[in-house]
Amino acid sequence: MVQISRRQLLAAAGAVTVVSIAGCDSGDGADTDVNDKKAGSMDGFKVGDQFKATEPLKFSAMMLSNQNYPFNANWPMLVELAKRTNVSFEATAVPGSDYNQKVSVVVSAGQAPQIIPKTYHPAEEAFIAGGAILPVSDYVHLMPHFTDKVQRWKLEGNLAQMSQQDGKYYLLPGLHEAVWQDYSIGVRTDILEKHSLAVPTTWDELTTTLRALKTAYPGQYPFSDRWSSQKPGPGANNLIGLLATSYGTRGGWNYDTAYWDGGKFVLTGAMDQYRQVVQYLATLVSEKLLDPESFTQTDDQARQKFASGKSFVISVNAQTVVNEARKDIAKIPGAKVAKIPLPTGPMGATLSGESRLENGIMLSKKALESKNFVAMLQFIDWLWYSDAGLMFSKWGIEGDTYTGKVEDGSFKLNPQIKWAGLNPDAPKNLQVDYGFFNGVFAYGGSTQMLNSQFTDEEKAFQAEMNKRTTREVGPPHPFSPEEREQAGLWEAAIADYVNQQTLAFILGKRPLSEWDKYVAELNAKGGDKYIELANKAYDRFKGKK
Amino acid sequence: MVSRGQRAFQVVNAAVLTLVVVVTLFPFVNIVARSFSGEQEIRSGQVSLIPRGFTTETYRHVMSDAMFWTNYRNTVVYTVVATAISIVLTTCYAYVLSKKQLKGRGLLVGIAIFTMFFNGGLIPNYVLVSSLGLRNTLWAIVLPNAINVFNLLVMKAFFESLPTELEEAAAVDGASQYGTLWRIVLPLSKAILATMLLFYAVSFWNSWFAGFLYMDRQELFPVTVYLRNLIAGVTAGADQTASSETALQIAASIQAVTIVLTMLPIMLVYPFIQRYFVSGVMLGAVKG
Repeated sequence: MVQISRRQLLAAAGAVTVVSIAGCDSGDGADTDVNDKKAGSMDGFKVGDQFKATEPLKFSAMMLSNQNYPFNANWPMLVELAKRTNVSFEATAVPGSDYNQKVSVVVSAGQAPQIIPKTYHPAEEAFIAGGAILPVSDYVHLMPHFTDKVQRWKLEGNLAQMSQQDGKYYLLPGLHEAVWQDYSIGVRTDILEKHSLAVPTTWDELTTTLRALKTAYPGQYPFSDRWSSQKPGPGANNLIGLLATSYGTRGGWNYDTAYWDGGKFVLTGAMDQYRQVVQYLATLVSEKLLDPESFTQTDDQARQKFASGKSFVISVNAQTVVNEARKDIAKIPGAKVAKIPLPTGPMGATLSGESRLENGIMLSKKALESKNFVAMLQFIDWLWYSDAGLMFSKWGIEGDTYTGKVEDGSFKLNPQIKWAGLNPDAPKNLQVDYGFFNGVFAYGGSTQMLNSQFTDEEKAFQAEMNKRTTREVGPPHPFSPEEREQAGLWEAAIADYVNQQTLAFILGKRPLSEWDKYVAELNAKGGDKYIELANKAYDRFKGKK
Repeated sequence: MVSRGQRAFQVVNAAVLTLVVVVTLFPFVNIVARSFSGEQEIRSGQVSLIPRGFTTETYRHVMSDAMFWTNYRNTVVYTVVATAISIVLTTCYAYVLSKKQLKGRGLLVGIAIFTMFFNGGLIPNYVLVSSLGLRNTLWAIVLPNAINVFNLLVMKAFFESLPTELEEAAAVDGASQYGTLWRIVLPLSKAILATMLLFYAVSFWNSWFAGFLYMDRQELFPVTVYLRNLIAGVTAGADQTASSETALQIAASIQAVTIVLTMLPIMLVYPFIQRYFVSGVMLGAVKG
C-alpha cells in the first residue's frame, strides 16, 4: 500500500481548503448565536457545578487508542461518565501510531466526528481556512470552568499565542497551573561523591565538574548525550533546549524561527544568546568533555555508553531516569544516578512559561449544527476543565479506585490497582481495566493534582523547580494564509541552515570568529525578511486588539 | 570429463550463490534470534545468529492479547476474500484484453493504464468510500484495490502468448467462450495464476493503510495495524505506563517478534507455489 507523506496530506488539505472556500462565504460573520442549540443543556451552569445533561446525549468523538491500554467501549470510566453526565460517546477508535494522519484525512474530508481531542498546536492551523473546525474562542463564555482557570492561572498570554490572524483560537488546550519542568540532566552521583564533587547548580559549574571528571578519567568523555533524532533541533535536542532557555533564547527541540526579545521579534539563530549557547557547547567539545557523537548517535548508543560506565552524564526526564538510566547502570556495583535540578544560566532561576498549555480539543463544524451544542460545550467544560472532572478522568471514582484528596495530600490509589510505578503488584490496572488516566482525557490541572502522580524523588525535584519564577510568554505573530505559505518556505530553509551551522560551530568545523558571516548567510536565506514579516504580523495583531 | 573451464565456473558459481544465500538469510535468522533474546543482550549488541538470554516474554505478551487474534483473523479473512476477488476480476479483464479482435480494446487498456498514473488522491477516495457506505466493512479494503494494473498487464501478456489455435480447436469442438477460458486457458495458466495469487496475497497481507483509514473500530483492524500501533506504543519512551522490567524486554524485542509473526504465514505459502514458479520459468525457456 502507498504511504502518504505529511507534505501530501498538507497539499490535500490545502486543496480541500480551496474548494471549500470557493463554496462558502468568509468566516468573519460567523454565527455565534446558540439560542436554538440548547437542547439537553443546563441552565445557569457555573463553576463547581456537576454537569448532567437533561436528556441522554451521544456525542461523536475521535478516540486515540493507546496500545498500552487499547480503547474499550465498556470501560468503567465510560459507564460512570454516562451515569454522572448523561453523555456517552460514539467513538471512532484510531491507533495512536497514526492518529494525526487519520485526523487529517477525516477532517479534510469533512467527515470528522464532533469532538476531536489530542490535537497538538499548531496542527489545527491546517484546517482553519477550510472552515472544517470551529473558532472555539467564540464559545468559551459558555464554559465557566475553562474561563475561570484561564483567569486564575493567568493563561491569557499563552492562549493569545495560539491566536490566528482573526484574533481567534481554534483549539481548546489543556491548562496547567504551573510550568512542569520534566527534563534535566542525570548525573552519576556515586562518581561525584567518589571524587568529592558537588552537584553542579549552574552550567558553568557543570563545566568545572566535567573538567574534574576528565582529569580523573582522561580516556573518557564524561558527558555523552541522547535525544538527537527529533526535529527541529540539530541533535542533543534536550541539552540545547535547556541551555537555550537558560541563556534567554530557544534551541534544540524548543527551537522556533523567531524569538520575542522584549518589544520585537528577532531571528533566533542569529541572536547573541544563541551564539553563547553554541560557544558553551563548542568549549565542552573542544576540551573533550562532551562526546561529539552526542549530536548524532541514537538513544540506544548513548544509553549503552552510560550503562557501561563510559560516560557519567546524560539527559533524562522523570520517566527515563527511573526506567532507563537507573536500570541501565544496575550492573555497575554502587552506581547511582539522579536527575539534578536544572542548572541555571544568565537568565537566573527562571523557567520558560511556554509549556503551560497541553494538547487539546478541536470541534468540527458538525458540532455547531447539533441542537445539543451548548450541552456539548458544558460537558467538555466539566470533563476536561473542572477539578472534579479532571480528578475523575485521572484517578477515577472516590471510594472505589482511590481515597482521600489531592488538595491535602491524603490521596491514595486503591492498593488493588496499579498505575505506572504505584502498587506494582496489584492485580488490576487503572488504565487497562478501568479506562482512567487515559491520555485522551487526563492531562493538565493543578500542581497539587500533578504532584499526586509523582514519586517522592520527583516531588523533591519539582519542589526545587517550583521555587523558580516563570517568565512571561511573548505575544503571537499570526500570519495570514498567504503569508504563512511564504513564511513556511523561509522557516524550513532557515531551520536547516541553523541546524547545520550550529553543529559545524559546536564540533569545531567552523571557527566562531565567522559568526557574523554566518548571520549574513542566514539573512540571505530570508532571515531578515522573515523577521520583518513576523513583526508586521505582530503589529497588525496588536492593532486589532 | 569436465573441462577446467567448467570446473572453475562451478566453483565460482557455488561461491557466489552461497554468498547470496548467506546475505539473504542472515538478516532473517538474525531477526528470529533477536525475537527470542533477552533485553540486555539485544541492547548491548550481542545477538547475531543464536538467541542469547533466551526468553519468550515478548511472544507471550503479544499472543496473550485477544485483540491480536481478532485482528489476525481479520487479516486472514481480508486476504483470502480480497485475493479471490482480485484473481477473478484480473483474470477476466486480462483475458478479454488479450483478444486482438476485440473492438475498443485500445480504450479498455488505456482506461486501466490511466489509473496507473492518475488517481483521485487520498481525501477524494476517502469521501468516495464513505459515501458508498463501505466504511467499516470488508469491501472498503477489498474493492478499491481489486485490480492491480501491473498484474493485469502481466497476465494479459501471458494470455496473448498462448497459441490461438488451441482456442480455435476448442471452438470447433463446441466450447463456449467461458468454457474455453475455464477448460482450456486456465489449466494452461497455472503458473501465472500462482504468481498472481502470490502477488495479491502478499500485498493484501502486508497492507495496513486501507484498514487503518477505513475502519473505525478496533475489532475490524487487520493485524498489521495492531502491530504498527504496538511498536509505536511500546517505543514511545516517555509514556507513563512503560515501567516494569517486562516493558523493557518488550520494547527491545517487539519489532523482531512482530516481523516473525506477520511473516510466518505468508512465508509458508511459498513452498506450495514454488513449483509453479519453476514450471513457469521452464515454459518460457522451452518456447524461447
